[in-house]
Amino acid sequence: MTPILSTILLTHVVFGILAVAGMYSLWMMLLKREPNSANLKRFSLWSLVFILISWISGAYYYLTYYGAAVKPVIKGGAYPWAHLVVMEAKEHIFLFLPFLLAVVLVAVIFSGTKLGQDEKLKSALTFLVAVMTIIGIAITLSGLVISGAVR
Amino acid sequence: MTLYSLFIASHIIGTILGAGAATFAEIFVIKALKDGVVEPLESDYLKTIYTVLRVGLIVAVISGFGFLFLYRIQGLEGLIYETKLWAKLTVVMILLINAIMLQARKIPLLWGSAISFTSWYTAVFLGLFRGISAPYFEILAWYVLAIVAVGFVLDKIHNHFGVKI
Repeated sequence: MTPILSTILLTHVVFGILAVAGMYSLWMMLLKREPNSANLKRFSLWSLVFILISWISGAYYYLTYYGAAVKPVIKGGAYPWAHLVVMEAKEHIFLFLPFLLAVVLVAVIFSGTKLGQDEKLKSALTFLVAVMTIIGIAITLSGLVISGAVR
Repeated sequence: MTLYSLFIASHIIGTILGAGAATFAEIFVIKALKDGVVEPLESDYLKTIYTVLRVGLIVAVISGFGFLFLYRIQGLEGLIYETKLWAKLTVVMILLINAIMLQARKIPLLWGSAISFTSWYTAVFLGLFRGISAPYFEILAWYVLAIVAVGFVLDKIHNHFGVKI
């Protein structure tokens, strides 16, 4: 792996974790009785930026290196399911996250400071962010499973 | 400074901040709840401690994944499937779920504190004693036992200081 590809892979990992940390923080904030709307906007915006960086770097790594050099090794190794099941699920589920984060950002921007009073919207957003965080953590762990199978 | 040194320094600093903050959080919660009322200054201290704890967690998690990244590019992928690593990840997951449950008030403060405190020290313990080669479920069984023991001790401490929750 070239230094540039290593850097791209590291970028994918670090920004992915930062995005998951951002989603988790959003979940914690939404559980408060009166969520701070400025913080919600800031965290949803940064999480979206982080997930996009992770998305783009991951896609570049997949297209230029993983498909040709890593996939055949995993498929021919002791854990072929790491690609056939885990990676296939990961790469498709991952596609949802930027869009879901954009939905959260738009909802937070338009609800403004009224989110605390609108219990229905707050519950829906809390549920959405919780699902996104769980997906984010599952995807992060999937990345580990895939990396460990390259042998 | 190599990438490995950077990750190891960050991981140690993150863990120190997290475990230290978890310890002080417990001490300050006991001090604050002795009279059953959390004063604004006490609340301010607790907020600062929880911020340090979160920063420690993020630094420790990112640097931890940094190690795994190094294993991957150095051809040491086998280490990623180590049971100790997955036990540590499970403990971190429980720590995260516990924080959510505490925030949502779905778990009593005593048990939430016991889980948080024990989880941080379990992570420290698993990091310190690298030679441990116990199976995954054995590590988790000891962890659950430690939570129960810490919960019992915290209950005694709360009673001793007359903590009103």
